[in-house]
Amino acid sequence: METKEEIAANPKKVSKKALNRSFWNWFYGNLTCFSQEHMQTFGYMCAMLPVIEELYDTKEEQTKAMQTYTAFFNTEPQIGTVIVGMTVGMEEAKANGGNVDGEMIDAIRAGLMGPLAGIGDSLIVGTLIPILLGISLGMSKGGSPLGAIFYAVVWNFLAIFGMRYLYKTGYKLGGRAVKILVGEKANAIRDAVLMVGTVVIGGVAASWINIKTSLVIQNSGAKTPILDLQKTLDNIYPGLLTMVFVLFCWWLMSKKRMSPTTVMLVIVGIAFLGCLVGFFNPGLKY
Amino acid sequence: MSITWLQAALFGLLACLASLPGLGGTTFGNYTLGRPLVAGLIVGLIMGDVSTGIIVGAAIQVVYIALVTPGGTVSADVRAISYIGIPLSIMAIKGLGLNPASSQAQQMATSLGAAVGTLGTVLFYGTATINLIWQHIGWKAVEKGELKKLYLVDMGLPWISHIICSFLPVFIITLLGSNMVGLIKSYLPMDGIVMKTLFTAGSMLPAVGIAILLKQVVKKPSDILTFVFGFTLCACMGLNLIGAAVVAGFLSMLVYKIKLVSIEEKDNREAALPVSQLEDEEDI
Repeated sequence: METKEEIAANPKKVSKKALNRSFWNWFYGNLTCFSQEHMQTFGYMCAMLPVIEELYDTKEEQTKAMQTYTAFFNTEPQIGTVIVGMTVGMEEAKANGGNVDGEMIDAIRAGLMGPLAGIGDSLIVGTLIPILLGISLGMSKGGSPLGAIFYAVVWNFLAIFGMRYLYKTGYKLGGRAVKILVGEKANAIRDAVLMVGTVVIGGVAASWINIKTSLVIQNSGAKTPILDLQKTLDNIYPGLLTMVFVLFCWWLMSKKRMSPTTVMLVIVGIAFLGCLVGFFNPGLKY
Repeated sequence: MSITWLQAALFGLLACLASLPGLGGTTFGNYTLGRPLVAGLIVGLIMGDVSTGIIVGAAIQVVYIALVTPGGTVSADVRAISYIGIPLSIMAIKGLGLNPASSQAQQMATSLGAAVGTLGTVLFYGTATINLIWQHIGWKAVEKGELKKLYLVDMGLPWISHIICSFLPVFIITLLGSNMVGLIKSYLPMDGIVMKTLFTAGSMLPAVGIAILLKQVVKKPSDILTFVFGFTLCACMGLNLIGAAVVAGFLSMLVYKIKLVSIEEKDNREAALPVSQLEDEEDI
């Protein structure tokens, strides 16, 4: 073991190469060996391994340092990159005899993974991806491949650069990096982005869902029907049935606590009854 | 129209990469290759009909526009939706002689995609369960200090789980799929109640996908109005989605600026306070 003075004179620093390897191990491997028991634990260990191998010389020290990362880990993998960066910074401080130990690292990991999973699920999966997909769907009308290519390129570009930024910020700033994600300014940005997402989703619903009734009441022999329900509804508000169905499904899920699969079955039931009574008719023949 | 051995094998391989938890990684595998819109393009290329692939992929994408999987509970499996649902839908549309651009073709694809996606969750739980074996090997390795073995455990051995739970099911089902269309044709007439229900449900299922997302973003009842606003932009005012995104971006910039002003005001007020009153506020 080196003495404290020796370390202070020549502090250990994780090389750029090891940081890169650590980042890409996380980027690729965060969920590859997923199980319900240890979700991202192995991805996390693979992300820490290049760093630990560089900071500690003997096999015993490396194995001992790795023990910190054997605890359960699961978060939203993209936003969660900031946690990996932070723990790399803390591990470096620990190897330099700083005021950090394995328990502290473990506490940071365990304390942040839940809140960041919530932020990531609503911001990335619930907002950013739907906005990108919504715009891409707009480019795909008529079978154009443009939308799919746009989504694949823009999403991967944003994700890779965003994750690299989070990793580096976490490594440099440590605990302070969390402020970027949970501070008041961050909340304001999140609310603004969420609003764009909600509007675009409204647009997606209006342009891609088309629920129509075929109910027509007509006297025999008469030329114009007494009631063409779809026409009447269109005059009130175009897409009224679509809107009603979306809000109905939302109500079932959020107020009645039904799972998406149950709601889908309810929808199939409504479709069946609607077809029986003639409210719906897709009008198909061979 | 039938699917060749090579095409089925390619679908199987893509399923290994695109699953959650897939071997293409989360960002490029699950969130790129696994999205039905992207899969529509790839499957379309493999089957030699890009525009039908995109139309089918886009229709199914609306249902799964926000597939949030909190804590690893999934309600639908992306590999099944994208690499079983889309090839089968393309075959069914061609086999039944539907016009790919018609709303009926999209309804057919949506119903089929949702059914396959729901049944496919068994593949997700299968993969995760087999991975337990590799993790067990991993713990032994950590105990013995063979740390390099972790790479094999995390990125190598899960291929075996995927050969069993992704490659084989996708390969077999897409290969047998061409028979399915013939069976549908002979047993289920288009004007019968089963097919009517199937197509009608297909037109409604995207509402479930949008509702999943709404549940995620609506925190207070007034947020519903934001959704209705977006709907109105497109349904009544005829904007396309890019136009709607621009309008929303502009409005959200205003909202952000208003919020910044109130945050700054609060900061100024706190700065004016004596230090003693700030002490019990905890820093994050």
